Amino acid sequence: MVELSWIEGVLALTVQFGTVYLLASLGEIYAERSGILNLGMEGMMIVGAAIAFVFTNALGHLLSLVSVVLIGALMGLLLAFLVVTLRLNQVVVGLALTLFGYGLSGLLTQPAIRARIMRALNPEVPEVRIVTQQAEALRAVKVPVLSDIPVVGPVLFSQNALVYFALIAAVVMWFVLFRTSIGLAIRSVGENPSMADSLGINVFRIRYVTSVIAGVMGALAGAYLFIGYQPFWVEMMTNGRGFIALALVILASWSPIRAVFGSLLFGGVEVIQFRLQLFGFAAQTPQFVLMLPYVVAIVTLTVLSVESVRKRLGVPEALGKPYYRE
Amino acid sequence: MTEKSGTDRRRITRREFLGVSTGAAVGGIVAAGVIGGIAGYLAGQSAAPPRAVTTTVTQAAAERTVTVQRTATVERTVTAPQVTELKVGYIYVGPVGDYGWSHAHDQGRKWADQRFPAAKSAYIESVPEPQAASAIESLITKENAKLIITTSFGYMDPTAEMAAKYPDRYFVHISGYRSGAAGNAPNNMSSAFAEFYQLYYLNGLAAGAVTQTGVVGYVAAHPIPEVVRHINAFVLGANYAYKKRTGKNIKAYVVWLFSWFDPAKARTGAISLIEEKNADVLAYTEDSPTVLQVAEEYTTQKGKRVWSFSHYSDMRQYGPNAHLTGQVVNWGPLYLEFYRMVATNTWQSVDIWTRIGDYVPYRWRRPVDKSTAGQPEGTVYLAPLNPAIPSEWQAEIKRRYEQMKELIFEPFSPEGNLGEPIRDQSGEVMVDGKTYVVSKRSGERREGGRLDRDALWEMDWFVEYILSELPRG
Repeated sequence: MVELSWIEGVLALTVQFGTVYLLASLGEIYAERSGILNLGMEGMMIVGAAIAFVFTNALGHLLSLVSVVLIGALMGLLLAFLVVTLRLNQVVVGLALTLFGYGLSGLLTQPAIRARIMRALNPEVPEVRIVTQQAEALRAVKVPVLSDIPVVGPVLFSQNALVYFALIAAVVMWFVLFRTSIGLAIRSVGENPSMADSLGINVFRIRYVTSVIAGVMGALAGAYLFIGYQPFWVEMMTNGRGFIALALVILASWSPIRAVFGSLLFGGVEVIQFRLQLFGFAAQTPQFVLMLPYVVAIVTLTVLSVESVRKRLGVPEALGKPYYRE
Repeated sequence: MTEKSGTDRRRITRREFLGVSTGAAVGGIVAAGVIGGIAGYLAGQSAAPPRAVTTTVTQAAAERTVTVQRTATVERTVTAPQVTELKVGYIYVGPVGDYGWSHAHDQGRKWADQRFPAAKSAYIESVPEPQAASAIESLITKENAKLIITTSFGYMDPTAEMAAKYPDRYFVHISGYRSGAAGNAPNNMSSAFAEFYQLYYLNGLAAGAVTQTGVVGYVAAHPIPEVVRHINAFVLGANYAYKKRTGKNIKAYVVWLFSWFDPAKARTGAISLIEEKNADVLAYTEDSPTVLQVAEEYTTQKGKRVWSFSHYSDMRQYGPNAHLTGQVVNWGPLYLEFYRMVATNTWQSVDIWTRIGDYVPYRWRRPVDKSTAGQPEGTVYLAPLNPAIPSEWQAEIKRRYEQMKELIFEPFSPEGNLGEPIRDQSGEVMVDGKTYVVSKRSGERREGGRLDRDALWEMDWFVEYILSELPRG
C-alpha cells in the first residue's frame, strides 16, 4: 500500500519542479497567442536566473524579484522591437536572444563583474555573499488552515511565494485571455492581424505588450529555478528548459489552464523518473521516461495538424508571421 | 482566392527574404557581440600581468641570499630567467566560471604559472569537442604554444591527430588513454588524470561510520567506468565501516542524472534518495555542491540528519552542518611537471593517474597522529574531516590515507572488504586477492592482488551492496 506521505512528497515536488515550466509557458502562450513565436524563452530564463543570483545576494528577495521583472520586461521589449518593429525573422531573433541570454548571464555572474555590480547596488554587502555561488532560497509559506488538509495542503498550500504566484497567474491569465475584450484582442491579433487592425485594434501595441509579458514570465521562471528550486548558480543552468516550455505550450494548445496540467506532467516526469530508477523499473532506460513528455508533444503536434482540430483548439493562425500594415 | 494565397505562401517574397537575411545578420551581430565581449574580457583577464609571480621570485631570492651560500643564490637567480619563455595553451570544454571541471583546470593553470615564471599561458574555453582540432591549431599558430593541454575526454583523438601533425610541439591530454607511452599515439603526447577512487573509498569509510539508517545514496552523472569505479569504491568503504560497526551490510542506491551538471536535476535525485530510500549519507558526481546543499537543508530545516561531501573543491561553505569530508583536486603540480619537461627539453611521453601521495613533498606514510589527511597536498587530497566522525574512524581514515601514499593499501582488494572477496551483484567473485576480472564484458581473469589500469578503466559492474541496477550503455 502506498503511503499518503509518499504521494504528498512526490506531488509537492512535482508542483515545485513544474512551476519552472508553468511560469515560462504562461508567458510564451501570451506571445504566441498574439502571433509571436518567442524562441528566446531560454535566454530570458537564464538572464532571470542570473539576476536573481546576483541581486538576491546584494539586495534580498523582494528587490531581486523586482529587478528580475524589469530585466524580463527589457528583454521582451528587445524581442518586440526586433520582430514587431523591424519585422525580423522570429526564429532567428529568438535563437539569437537565447545565445545573447547565455552570454549576458555568464558576463553578469563573472566573479569580478558580479562583485562590482553587487557593491554598486549595496556597498554594505558582506564579502561572503560576493564569493558564494548560492543565495538564500525562498522559504515555503504555509497558508493557514488550508495547509492542514491532507495531500492538498502539503502539495498546494505549503509552497513558496512564486509557486502561488504561478498558479494564480495561470487562472488570471486564462480569464483575461478567454473572458475579456483584451484577451479577444490578443487572440484576434494572433489569428488575423489585418482584420484586427481594421477593427481598430493596435496590432503593434498588443504584440509589444505580449512580448513584455513573455519576457517577464520567462525571467521569473529562471529566477524561480534559482531561488525557488535549487539555489546554486552554474552557467547555462536552465539546461534547455526554455525549449521544453515551448513544447509544453503546444501540448497545452495555447491555454493557460491546460498549461498547468502540462507543467505538472513535465515536472512529474522529472520527479517520477528518479523514483522509478530507485524502484528498479526504469534502471535500464530512464531516458525512456524522460522522453515521454516529448512523445506527448509530438503526438499533440500531429493531432494539431488536422485542420478541424486546429480550428477547434484555436491555434494562432498568424503565429510567427510579421505584420505589415498595407 | 484561397488557392492564390496558398501559392503566395509557398513562394518566398523579396520582403520575407530580406526579413530573414536581416534577421540572420542582426542575430549574428548580437551573438558575435556578446561572445566577442566575453572573450575579450577573459582574454584581458588571462593576459593580465601575474603580479604575484614577480613577488614570489624576489622574495625567494632574497630569502636565499640570507640563508644559503651567496654564490649558489647568484647562480640560481641568474639562470632562472635564462629559461626561454614557455608558451602553454589550454583548451577547456566548459566555461571557466568559478565552479566545476573547467574551473579546476584553470586554477591548476594559474597555480603552475605562478610557480614557473617563464611560462606564459593562454586558454580557450567552452570548446565543443568537434572543434578541438581547430582550437589546438589556433593555439599553435596564433599563440605559438609549445605545450598544449587539452582537458576533456572528447579531445583525445583530435589531440593525437595534432600531435602527429606538429611533432615539434608537446601535447598533454587529460582523462583519456592515448599517449606515446601507451603506444597508441605519437611520442609527443602524454595522458594524465587525477584519480579519485581512493578518496571515494575514504569518503565511504566516513559514511559508514556515521550512517544511522544503514543506507547510503549516490547521485551519479553518466554510467561510464570512471563514475562506476567511484561508486564502487565509495560503497566498499561504507560497507567496511558499517559492517564493522553493526555486523550488517550497507545498502546503497544510485540515481543517474545523465548530465554532468544540472543543479535542478541533482536536487530532485538527492531528494528521492532521501525520501524514497531513507539514505542519510549522499555522495555524488555532479559539478555543483547541490547534493551537499540538499543535505544541509534536510539537516537544518527538515529535521532529518543527512550528510554529504565536497567534490573537486572544498565546499564546506555550502553545507557547514552536513559536510563530512570529500575529494579535492589541484591540477597545478601535474601541469608544472609538464612545463618543466618541455622547458628543459627533457620530455618523455607518460601515462599517469595521480593518486594520493603523488606530487607531495614527503612521499612516505606518516603515523596516524601526524597524518596529513584533510590538508591540501599534492594533486588529490581529502577535504577537512568533520569532527562528528567518531575518533576511531577518523584514525582509520587517516591510517588508510597514509597507507595509500605508498600504495600499500588498495580499496579494490579483499583487505578493503573486511577480508572478503569482492563480489558483483550477481555474486560472481571479481577480486579474490590472487586474481581479478578485468571487466564483465571481456570476462578475462588476470593474476594479481590488485586491479590494473585496464580493470579500473573498464569497470562495468557494481559491488554486491548496491541495490540499484547499472544502466547498460
